[in-house]
This record gives sequence, C-alpha cells and structure tokens, in this order.
Amino acid sequence: MIKHHPKFELLEAFVNGDLPASLSIAITIHAEMCPLCQQKILQLTEQVAEQSFEEDVISLDDLDSPNYSDISIDDDLESDALFDSMISNITFSEDVVEVVKPTNKNVTFKDKTYVLPTVLSNIGFGKTANVGKLSRSRLQLNEDEIHTNLLHINAGGGVPAHTHKGFELTVLLDGSFTDHEGEYNKGDFIMLDGTFTHTPVSENGCLCYTVANDALHFTQGINKLLNPIGSFIY
Amino acid sequence: MVAIQTNLPTHVSHAKSSSMTDKIDHTQLSAWLKEVADARCKIAFTHLFKFFAPKIQRIARSKFPNEAQSHEVVQDTMSNVWRKAHLFDSDKGAATTWVYTIMRNVTFDILRKIKSNREDNLSDDIWPIAESAAAEEQPYEDHLENKQLLRVIEALPETQQEVVKGFYLMEMSQEQLANHLNLPLGTIKSRLRLALAKLKVHLGEDND
Repeated sequence: MIKHHPKFELLEAFVNGDLPASLSIAITIHAEMCPLCQQKILQLTEQVAEQSFEEDVISLDDLDSPNYSDISIDDDLESDALFDSMISNITFSEDVVEVVKPTNKNVTFKDKTYVLPTVLSNIGFGKTANVGKLSRSRLQLNEDEIHTNLLHINAGGGVPAHTHKGFELTVLLDGSFTDHEGEYNKGDFIMLDGTFTHTPVSENGCLCYTVANDALHFTQGINKLLNPIGSFIY
Repeated sequence: MVAIQTNLPTHVSHAKSSSMTDKIDHTQLSAWLKEVADARCKIAFTHLFKFFAPKIQRIARSKFPNEAQSHEVVQDTMSNVWRKAHLFDSDKGAATTWVYTIMRNVTFDILRKIKSNREDNLSDDIWPIAESAAAEEQPYEDHLENKQLLRVIEALPETQQEVVKGFYLMEMSQEQLANHLNLPLGTIKSRLRLALAKLKVHLGEDND
C-alpha cells in the first residue's frame, strides 16, 4: 500500500515539464505504481493543455512578461511566411514514426536481480560501488549538482544517521525499510529536506531510486524529507 | 504580499478555463488529426498548424530567450504531429492534450540538450505519447468509480438500496418498481429522492 505521494505542486511542475529529468523520472516511476497519482497527472495534463490552446485568450502571465510586446503583435507577414515554409517542409516527407516500447533493463545487486521501471530503459548506469550492505549505481543524467542513484540495501542493512543540506528523494522500487516514522513500501515517494535526521533500516532488503542535491538553493518549497544516505549516496 | 498578488490572477484563470472549454472545437481538431493519419491530408494538417503553431510559439517564447529555439519547438512539435498522427486515439483523450504532450516533450528535450548537454530524448520515456498507459487508465477509473459507487449504495438503508439498484442498475421504471415491491408509487419516489441526496453527499465528499 503506497502511503507517500508527491505533493501537488510537484505534480504540477512535472506536467508543465519544469522539473529536471531526475525528478520527472521519479514521478513517472511512482505514477506507474500509483493509480491515484496517475489519474491526477492525467487530469492536470488535460487542464493545462486546454489552457494552453484556448482561442484568443491571453493569459495574465503573458501580460506580466516583459516580452509581451514582442509576443503579441509579432510581424504577421514574416511569421506567415515562416509558417508556410514550415508546413511544406514538414509535409514533404510521407514517413511516419512508429513507437517501439523500450525493453526493460535488469539490474543485479548482491545476487538479486530486479527488472527496472520502463522509464529507465534508455539511461546509462555507472559502475556499482559497495559499502558494507549498501550498493549504489549512478544514473548518467548529467545534472550538475543533482545526483541520481539506484541504491540497494541488503537485508539487515541500514544507513547511518546524517543530515543533508539539500533535498533528498527516495522512491522505493522494491522491498521496504523503516525509520522512526514508520515503514515505507514499494512505490512510496519520500521527499525530505536537510532538517530531518533519521536512520532507515531495511530488514529484508530494498532497492531505491534516489535523487539528491547538495546545494542550498533547491530546498525551499520542497518539504518533508527523507535523508537517508549521506555522501556515499549523493 | 507580492506572491499573493501574482498568484491570484493565475488562480482565476485556472478556474475560468474549465468553463471555457467549449471555446475549443475538439471534434474538429480530432477530425483533422484523423485525416492526417488516414489520408496524409495536407489541408487538414494546415488547419491544425494554423490553430496550434502560433500558440506553441507563444508558449515557447516564454521558456526560451532565443527566437530560433522557439521556432525549433514549433517545427519539432508540428513535425511530430504530422508523423505520429496515427498514434492519436480520440477515445483516449482530447487532441489538445495529445499535442500538448508532444510540445511539452519537445521542449523538455531541447532544454535538457541546452542545460545538460545530453541528446538522450528522455521525454518520450517519461511521458509516453502513444502507449498503453492512457489506454489502461480509462477502465481503471470506471472500475474505481463503480466500486466506490457500489460501496456507497450498499451503505444505504435496505429499503432505499433496493429502489436505487432497481432503478439505476436494473433500469426498471418507477412504476415497475412499485409493482415489483408492492409499494405505492409515491413511496418509491420519496425513497429514491432520499437515496440520491445521500449519494450526492457521499460521492461529493469522496470525489474531492
């Protein structure tokens, strides 16, 4: 039973395409396991789409924008010509695109093999590093200070207590862990900020997708945070 | 204070949009997409282009400082509309939602290319354009709602339950029910009215 979900603001930013790939992927993974959030995302997308393409509605955001004067009047003739040439370029080719569903990747940590969520199918992973009962493999997303990992905790393992300056997100892909707040299970989406300290322990082992930044600037507005894994994880 | 002032109008426009949905001719947009898919119809595509392109350009301008990049968003989005029209299924959602998804994905990939120097085009994995996901959601939703509805109906007093089930699930008329249950028509009507009032309260609460 999934008990921890992304906040509404996060879902909104996700639908708008404003989140970095690491966090967008996290929400996709969660939504794949959580029909509730899947439904919310669907509805939000419909609403945003509707707003985006409403006829002749200039949103108040546009009016506030300093570029508004360029945006509104535009050079109609110029853009007509541009649009016409785009149309003929695009329709020149009769080709259609077939979408092939990617093949899910497998990952093995300490003899245990997991099938990864579809969204991770086209992402490269770094070599696995091991410390005691912890193993981690970094996702090659290139997002500067935001680091994304698969973290595996072997049965009976845990993460030493520590605090973190930025945010730390954990999505449980498999298994469960507990801390003083309770038990977390497969599909849970746990966002914590640096104000939390806890010591998660996984009795039967678990696999997590984790995103962390060490910078101070990303912490505002993202509350309730799991802070499991310290610099090794980051 | 500032935050409140800038937030307020946005909320108003959110609220407005749902009542303004009739401004967009969804049936027409879907029909054009179907013509593009089935007949590679350039006229239908031109209609779609004229509807979407200026709006896409305006949205892209708010995300990219550079005009060339906003043109790239228009070009790539509309090109995908042309080449993927056969993947659009009007049973699964509105044309606007479909085109929005393409536009958002194109924008995401271009931004990622700029920021992270990656051309991995992850957007279609994060937000699949044509996939079972959307197809599976519909039945799920119905299933969920039916289940919830049944649960609420089952919480009604027995006498109201049989009237609601007879009228809505078995589609009997009020007269048929009166005969069947051997009750005056007025009793059937008042039980139905009471039951509906209760259902409204429960579903209203739970649906929020």
